[in-house]
Parts: sequence; structure tokens; C-alpha cells
Amino acid sequence: MRPENYRPVSHPPSHEYELYFGPNHPGIEGNYAIRVRLKGDEVQEAIADGGYLHRGFEKIMEERLWIQNVALVPRICVPDPVPMEECYSRAVEQLGGLEVPARAQWIRVMMLEMSRICAHLFTFGGNAATIGFYTNMFWGVSMRDLFLDLFEEITGARIYHMYITPGGVRRDLPEGLLDRLAALLDDLESRLPDFEDLFFSNTVVINRATGTGTISAEEALAWGVTGPNLRASGLPFDVRRDDPYLVYPELEFEVPTMKDGDALARMMVRKAEVLESIKILRQVIARLPHIEGPVRCPLPNPLAWNIPAGDTFARVESSKGELGFFVVSTGGAKPWRVHVRGPSQMHAVQVLERLLARGRLEDIAQIMFSLDACPPEVDR
Amino acid sequence: MTVETGTPATIVDTIQHEIPGIKVTKQGERRLRIDVARDSLPALLELLKGRLGFIHLSAISCVDWPETDEFELVYHVWSYERKTLASAHITIPRNPGRFVSVYDIHTPAGFYERDIHEMFGVVFVGAPNLRPFILTSWGGPPPMLKSFNTREYVNQTYEWVDYQPDWLKDVEAKGGGVEK
Repeated sequence: MRPENYRPVSHPPSHEYELYFGPNHPGIEGNYAIRVRLKGDEVQEAIADGGYLHRGFEKIMEERLWIQNVALVPRICVPDPVPMEECYSRAVEQLGGLEVPARAQWIRVMMLEMSRICAHLFTFGGNAATIGFYTNMFWGVSMRDLFLDLFEEITGARIYHMYITPGGVRRDLPEGLLDRLAALLDDLESRLPDFEDLFFSNTVVINRATGTGTISAEEALAWGVTGPNLRASGLPFDVRRDDPYLVYPELEFEVPTMKDGDALARMMVRKAEVLESIKILRQVIARLPHIEGPVRCPLPNPLAWNIPAGDTFARVESSKGELGFFVVSTGGAKPWRVHVRGPSQMHAVQVLERLLARGRLEDIAQIMFSLDACPPEVDR
Repeated sequence: MTVETGTPATIVDTIQHEIPGIKVTKQGERRLRIDVARDSLPALLELLKGRLGFIHLSAISCVDWPETDEFELVYHVWSYERKTLASAHITIPRNPGRFVSVYDIHTPAGFYERDIHEMFGVVFVGAPNLRPFILTSWGGPPPMLKSFNTREYVNQTYEWVDYQPDWLKDVEAKGGGVEK
């Protein structure tokens, strides 16, 4: 809580009290806060308090050239930056009528799915930590690190790759990368049973997460829940399948769902999605060597690059749900307006407030992590 | 809830039949652009949600157009059944920026209206919560307005400090440096 937002209050005699949960708290994702009113350990009301990571991206992007924004967009979501690059680039491609070469499309899918696995491994760790299982967190984060090594090899950067650009990708893959990716996928797959034993089939975890933060299918639709959180409530909707982009229609993958809509179901959906992402990546590894050609379409001088006037709404399925970029051009060298619709704008505010109000103090961290909310996406 | 099935052509027909004077343009395979008078927007969203299955409010975007002194509000709704995104565009006068809240039709509107209120100053009548969320310690004008110049604000508010650490001097001695 910022000092200027702190209001000391004198309470009338009551069993209720207020608790400032975050922004520095191990049970909070990123820098975010929740003001909770409690009665004993029962939450009466929860008010989300964001803005700690607000960097004014949408405003800054209006001041930057179309190509310069490639360096800004991945920073909007730290754990899953690649969908941001993809979504922005595709919006520019739609406005500018750019055709992405086939090889670049396959490379982009590879990057997106690697990023999805990283984000889910990160979330497993966070989820586990909220129930007191730190080993799982170390395993998840160390596994993710091996993917970051590959990202570094491909793009030169571990987190903010700035690799997907309008018209394709920045450069082709290094020699032998696909073999190393295949080996890493085998390694990950061989370790998943350990995750299963330690965490997913652990009675303590199952008892703790069952029935915590339950969202019914009707509520999920009404509250604008998307992504794995929506699928955990039994609704098989996925932007990759429903509003396909890149080469996803050519790939075989399932859209895993669960019925219960609670914290456990949300974890299980993500676990199943890691397996689906591995499946997709193996298809990419098999197909990519046979797809020749450039990795980027010819672009004009990026310093004098005007995008035709118009507006477009590009969507991507990120690891957290539906990500959208509404981009408006007036025909100039810079965007007139970029609006970022992050899935966490629903999950971390209205949905979180509603779920917490039904929960208990000890569930707050677990509910937040099970929604996989990403505060920088809310603050932008 | 019953949903009429059919090709996007029937969506266009239904909308145009129910709300005269509306302009519906098909943009790509799964995109519809709808230009509608602002007074008809709530009715349009009700129609799209209740009869055509556009139940998911994906986002509300606001665009500032100082030349015409207008705000453009764009309501993006997605239909899971029809796999189509309809973007309804309206314009509202800029001064004062006021429009009716659609929270009672789409719950997610609560967040987007609050955000637009904070960043553009538009007041949504009937919105459940327009309290500051991100800019709680901000006393200036709504910062996403085109009239708000970030550089000017920084120059007026802060003092520039000459930054000359030793490492930078070394870099400059080799011909590099920080762009001024």
C-alpha cells in the first residue's frame, strides 16, 4: 500500500478488521495488492489495488515508430512475453497487409509454445509455494531456465526477446537448435512424473485445492474469464482453435478441459496444456526442416515506415487467456492508439475480488496463483 | 438462451433488420465492423448477446480524436458459437465525455469503463465503480488524452540532472555516449 493510500481508521466494536495484502507479500504475484476486510479468517470483501507496475506503455507506444514498439511490447507481461510480440506484430501486419513467410509462421508457433510451457512451469512453482511446497517451485523454475537458455540462443535474450517483428521474425534459428529443443522436451517429459508424484497427485495438494476459488461455467462466461481458467470450468474455448492464426490449423492438439472450476482444476488444465505444447513442439520439430524460405517479408526502411490508416483487433491465446491488441493507424509513422487487452485485466480484478469474497484468509494466495493473474498486464 | 445458427450473412441481416440505419461491414473471415449511432449501442449489444450469441465482451477501447473533438468507443464482442468478433464503433462528444454504462449487459465492462474513465476522463453513467485504480496518486489530467504531452509534463515537473558517471566518460572517450 502506498503511504498516500493508507487511511488509518478507527473501528467501531466489531469482529471485523482490514488487512493490506501486498504489494510486498510472498502470496502476491508481481507487485499487486488486495485490501481485504475479514471477520475471523472469513473474507467479507476484497478490493484489488493495482498500478504498482504502471509504466504507461499505451501512451509511450503512441510516441514510438512502428518498429520501435517491438522492443516495448514483450515487457507488458514478464512471465509470458512472446504472445505480446505476436499480437502486436500481427496487428501491424493486418493493417499493413504484410504476408508472413511460412517458415516464420512455424518459428513463431515454436516460440509461442515454448513461452507457454515456461509460463506454466512458473505457475506450477507459484501454485505449489502457496500451499507450502517449495521443492516444486525450484523444479519448475529450474526447468524453465533450460528453456530460457534456448531462447537466449535463438534471440540473444532470455526474457524479452524482441524476436517476433511485423512481417516475420528477426533471424533464422541457429544450427542444431531443433535437436537441442527435442532433447529438452524429452528431458521435461521424463521429469513430469516427478512433478506428478510430488505435487499433482499429492493428497495434501488435492485436499487443499479442491473446492477453493470455484468458478461455475455460467459465472466464467458472465465474468469474461478466458484461457485455462475458462477451460477449467468445462468450456473448451481456445483462441488457437476458435480464431486460428499462424499455422495452428495445421497442427494436431487437444484443448484440455476440467469440470470443477476450482483451483485444482485450473492446475490440472495447465498440466495437460504442457503436454499439448510438447506435442505441438514435436510437430514443429518434424515439419520445420522441410520448410525453406525467408523468415521475414521485405520491409521498407523502418525509420520511414508508414502504416496505412485503419484499425484492427488482433487476438492470441496466451498462457493466461485471451490477449488482444486494438491498434489504430492514421497512416503515419507511429500508431495513433494501441489498446492492450490482457486476460488478467479480468482475472486479477473483478474475478479475483468476487472469488476472494467467498474464501478465507489462507486461500487468498492460492486463489490468486491458481488464476495465474499477471499484474503487469493489468497495469500496462 | 436460443441462438440462431447460420452464416455471418444472417448476423448482418438480423442486425440491419432490427436496428435501421446501422452499417455492418465484414472485415475478414471472422471480423465484423459495426458503425452505429451511440443511442442504439445498448440495444445493439443486447441484440448481439441475447439473440446472436455474442456473449463475451472482449474489450472496450477508447480512441481520442481531437480534430473532430470526439471520443471513439469500440465495443469488441465475441461469439463462441459463431466464432466471430463484432466491433461496434460509436463516437461521443469529447467535452464532456459522457456515455451510458453497459455493465448491466456485460459484467467485464466494469473494468474497461473504469480504465477509460481513468485514462481518458469519460464518465460512464451507471457504472458500478469509477474510483481510480492505477493512477491513485495522480493529480493531473487524464494522461491518455492526446492533449497531454508527456515530455512537456516531465520538463515542467522535474529538473534534468546532468548524468556523468566515470564509465560514461570512458565510453565517450571512445566515441560513444548517450543520445542527448
